[in-house]
Amino acid sequence: MKLIRSTKTRLVFDLSQREEQMLLRLLKLYPCVPAAHHVLSKTSRLSDAAANQQLLDESLAEQRAQNKKQLQTLLADPRRLEHTESGARLSLSPAEAEWFMQVLNDIRVGSWILLGSPDGNPLELTPAKAPHFVAMERAGYFQMQLLEALEGGA
Amino acid sequence: MMGWLDKRPSIAYLCVMAETATPEIQTGVVQTTDEKPKSTLEPGYLVICWNDPVNLMDYVTHVFQIVFGWQRKKAEFHMLQVHEQGKSVLKRDGMERAEHYVHQLQQYTLHATMERDE
Repeated sequence: MKLIRSTKTRLVFDLSQREEQMLLRLLKLYPCVPAAHHVLSKTSRLSDAAANQQLLDESLAEQRAQNKKQLQTLLADPRRLEHTESGARLSLSPAEAEWFMQVLNDIRVGSWILLGSPDGNPLELTPAKAPHFVAMERAGYFQMQLLEALEGGA
Repeated sequence: MMGWLDKRPSIAYLCVMAETATPEIQTGVVQTTDEKPKSTLEPGYLVICWNDPVNLMDYVTHVFQIVFGWQRKKAEFHMLQVHEQGKSVLKRDGMERAEHYVHQLQQYTLHATMERDE
């Protein structure tokens, strides 16, 4: 995934065929973080803690449903994801790239949770764990390409 | 981490208007107090980001810049604090604002919570 054009309003990336397939397969995993993963407070010493937690859960669930819909719209729009001879061309506004990073990080963190939330020590990869590890690493790769584009430009 | 804003002595300027005159206070007198009881210091919720081994350091720095509008240096300072000390207090604010920030950080899938500042 290579940034080929960067303006104030648009970031354009070239993806190889392999990268395009990887990205599309990856995005099918969204949302990946379990709904109950986020807590508002660790101590629950907030007033109306349960009600506030419920509001947060509902708000995040709504956001994820909206993200899923937006993702499908974006991937189906040939002005955003255009197939080329060598793969694909992905065109995003900076705001979309920012949002896209959130989606990818959900997949990265969700895959890490599915791996059993390892603490950074070398993982013992089993056939069952391998797909989650691959998804986590690939999500990180695409995330960093977007981040570099957002912060550095072409 | 508490910001310097939270530690500074509070200064109360008591400007007395004619119609609200109170005999004990002179016009233009500045009263300073180094400490105020904590209970009167609103707002009182801490937005905390906790360490995890999965979120990438550059990503966390970027999120702090976006959510709080910080310069890169400040965002990096807090990111490193999370990384090295296990957590960083990012903001002290009222309940609604703190909730807003936590929600924003969680949308980016960072491990963030709000805790009552006691």
